Amino acid sequence: MLGMTPSTEAAIAAVELRKRYGARAALAGVSLTVARGEIVGLLGPNGAGKSTALAILATLLPADEGDVRIGGHAVPAEAPAARRALGWVPQHVALYPSLTGRENLAFFATMLGVGGRVANDAVRRALTLVGLGARGDDKVATYSGGMQRRLNLACGLVHAPQVLLLDEPTAGVDPQSREHLHATIERQAHDGAAVLLSTHDMEEAERLCGRIVLLDEGRMVAAGTADELVGTSGLAASLSLRMLRPPPSDWLDGLASVRVLSANGTRATLVLDDPAAMPVLLARAARVGGDVLELRFDRPTLADAFFSLTGRALRDGATRPEAT
Amino acid sequence: MLRALAAAIRKDFRLLLRDRVGLVFLTVAPIIVITVAGFSLATLYGAGPQGETAYVLPVADQDGGRVGRVIRRALADQEMVQVREVASRADAETLVRRHEAGVALVVPVDASRRLASGEALELELLTDPVKYLEVANVRGLVQELRHGIEREARARAARRVARLERRMAATRADFERAAASLAHELDALPARLAGAQAEVAARARAAEVGAERKVRAAVAEASELRVGLLGARLGAELAPLRRFVTELEASRTAFTRWSRSLRRQAGRYADRVPAPPPLPAIPLAVSELARLDTATLIERLTSDTRVPTPRIDLPRFPAPVPPTLPTLELPMLPSPPSLRLPGTIEIAETSVTGAPTRLNTFDQNVPGFSVTFLLLGMLLGVSLGLLDERDWGTFARLRTMPIPLDVTLIAKLLTRFVVGVAQMVILLLVGRVVFDVSLGPQPAALLLPTAGIVFAGTAFGLVVAGLASSREAVLPLGSIVIVTMAAVGGCWWPIDLEPRWMQRVALAFPTTWAMAAYNDLMIRRQTFEAALRPTAVLLAFGLAYLALGLALFRRRGVLTR
Repeated sequence: MLGMTPSTEAAIAAVELRKRYGARAALAGVSLTVARGEIVGLLGPNGAGKSTALAILATLLPADEGDVRIGGHAVPAEAPAARRALGWVPQHVALYPSLTGRENLAFFATMLGVGGRVANDAVRRALTLVGLGARGDDKVATYSGGMQRRLNLACGLVHAPQVLLLDEPTAGVDPQSREHLHATIERQAHDGAAVLLSTHDMEEAERLCGRIVLLDEGRMVAAGTADELVGTSGLAASLSLRMLRPPPSDWLDGLASVRVLSANGTRATLVLDDPAAMPVLLARAARVGGDVLELRFDRPTLADAFFSLTGRALRDGATRPEAT
Repeated sequence: MLRALAAAIRKDFRLLLRDRVGLVFLTVAPIIVITVAGFSLATLYGAGPQGETAYVLPVADQDGGRVGRVIRRALADQEMVQVREVASRADAETLVRRHEAGVALVVPVDASRRLASGEALELELLTDPVKYLEVANVRGLVQELRHGIEREARARAARRVARLERRMAATRADFERAAASLAHELDALPARLAGAQAEVAARARAAEVGAERKVRAAVAEASELRVGLLGARLGAELAPLRRFVTELEASRTAFTRWSRSLRRQAGRYADRVPAPPPLPAIPLAVSELARLDTATLIERLTSDTRVPTPRIDLPRFPAPVPPTLPTLELPMLPSPPSLRLPGTIEIAETSVTGAPTRLNTFDQNVPGFSVTFLLLGMLLGVSLGLLDERDWGTFARLRTMPIPLDVTLIAKLLTRFVVGVAQMVILLLVGRVVFDVSLGPQPAALLLPTAGIVFAGTAFGLVVAGLASSREAVLPLGSIVIVTMAAVGGCWWPIDLEPRWMQRVALAFPTTWAMAAYNDLMIRRQTFEAALRPTAVLLAFGLAYLALGLALFRRRGVLTR
């Protein structure tokens, strides 16, 4: 469970979710919680189990084992109530292209149990929220990819859900639309929604998510804030140098917190387990190497932590979750 | 450049080979259509060599004579038909009414006798005009038979005429010979008659002269004898008269002289002497009678009185024997044979199903192609609609919503159902207005099969959507199935073109039942009762498709991606 304790008060609570597709375990005991007002990122390589986990949480797929509660309602026993509390934004745009944005929103609002004047207000509000107020009466087919993404998000939140499940909501959109989508998601969390965001975008995860759950091969390999994940990964900051002349081989003797990652003539990449050793290191490099011509300092990022925790092997064998 | 061209060609071939839908359209689809059309239209070009496409042809031979035998024997040799002999016209009609046959042949009572006696003969075809081609083919076949029978009858008549001509020619020759002989005899007859006539005339004249002579002699002799007798008797009779007249004349003369003497004697007193009384004058006739001699008297007495000609019996003389007439040996004419031209054979068609004998082709085509396009509409509307929703992700999105997905499905099916019914109604109305198709005696009854086929088509769209893994697969899969169902089910041509085994297979398709109902209502002019069973079957198809479609959906997870 890696430090995450399921809470009955959490808007999203999953305990020991297990799901198998034949011999392959898509989920092998995944637990997570998302509180209201919290944005939690779901990271992992392809086939890690993100989409399966989201499908189970969205009531699209039954888990083989484990408990799920959405908005306090057990799934699948109380699926209708859970669905009323749920807003799901699929990875691919799920809209009727020949209907207008307003018509799409009105239809989905009705199917979500919002009707009459309330629905009209909700539609108007949702269009405004995603910046489509002026294009609401245009057919979706005429929208740009970014506009469709925004409307896709609007359809998931038109009923002001307690729980928002987002499956790569910004994939393939331009920076402006991405920015707008990020703002909208933060606004939902600010308004009290529990947001679970599945994404491959580390920057997006670092920016939006208070916590991140890292999945790999159906297992949760890490969870916590971005910094916690970096720390968990055991990665250290690195220093790349180019000196005037090649240093002697023993030039780092006595610097216990510094390790050589690679060395090639005048170039060297060093790992600093303790960043405090940096001044001493630079002074010694200038002395033995004649001078330091180039210097680059790299701190470990979430992406580094991701690769560190999940490895760099391709995951081409991953399969998509299937509904029953 | 050439290397690039070759690479591009290789690339396009790879794309084509990996486009399974395209390959299906290139190969499988036409093969299936060719197969279906080939089997369906087998009878259009005649029966198959194994007779599997032969029509069942009930034959009621009410004649029992030569014509009936010839027809049955000729039909038995025809691959096109499979003769089923029935006992009566009613039995034949029943088979047609039950759609077990499209046409039945009735050979009427006394057909052979009437044909032989030169009377008109009518072969009756009991037809179901809806089975147009079957009727046409059998009509053509019966026409051939009819011509054959008439040809044979004419040939028989010609042979009899030829025999008669030969006999007549022989008889004529006999007559000519007899006539020549007779003419020769007749030529000699006038001379013979003239000789006989002259002989008779001569003999008659001789007899006449002799008889006259005898008569005259007899008359003269009798007359002389009588005059002599009369003169003697007259002289005797007139003798006293003559003496008295003579004496009277003498007395008168004596008295005259006496008177004159008296007067003279009386001198001057002669005037006083009274005139003597007048003496009676002797009548002239008496005086002449007394004066004339007997011969003169006889002459005078007989001059104006003819002695009546005595009755003369001419002597009979035998008439000359007439010349002997030649004996005319007339040959016996043969009795004219009962030679009559053979009678004519007509073919009378009687529709026993209520359909008019001549059909409006649109009565078949309008419902047929309407059903075809209805199913295509269902395919596009339901199958592609469902797959579109799946591909758009809207189904998955709807599954995360509190309203059951079944509501969405039902709404989609209901929408397509309403659209399908409206489509059929519009097409039938257009057919009525533009092509003058018959909507039958109860146009509202058309709603029954319409509702049935629309329901079945709608549910079938669900099945196709459940079977097809992608939108691209719907078109080949659905269109092949629909083309097959439409073709085999009788939407494009009368189902009766198809061989019997295919007609049995067609019962597994809703199109067959829909077309049966439309044909019954529109062409056979039947009432709504005729559509009840097909409609029930169509609804059953719809329910089965619905269950299958939903099962496929659930099994294959069609609604998610």
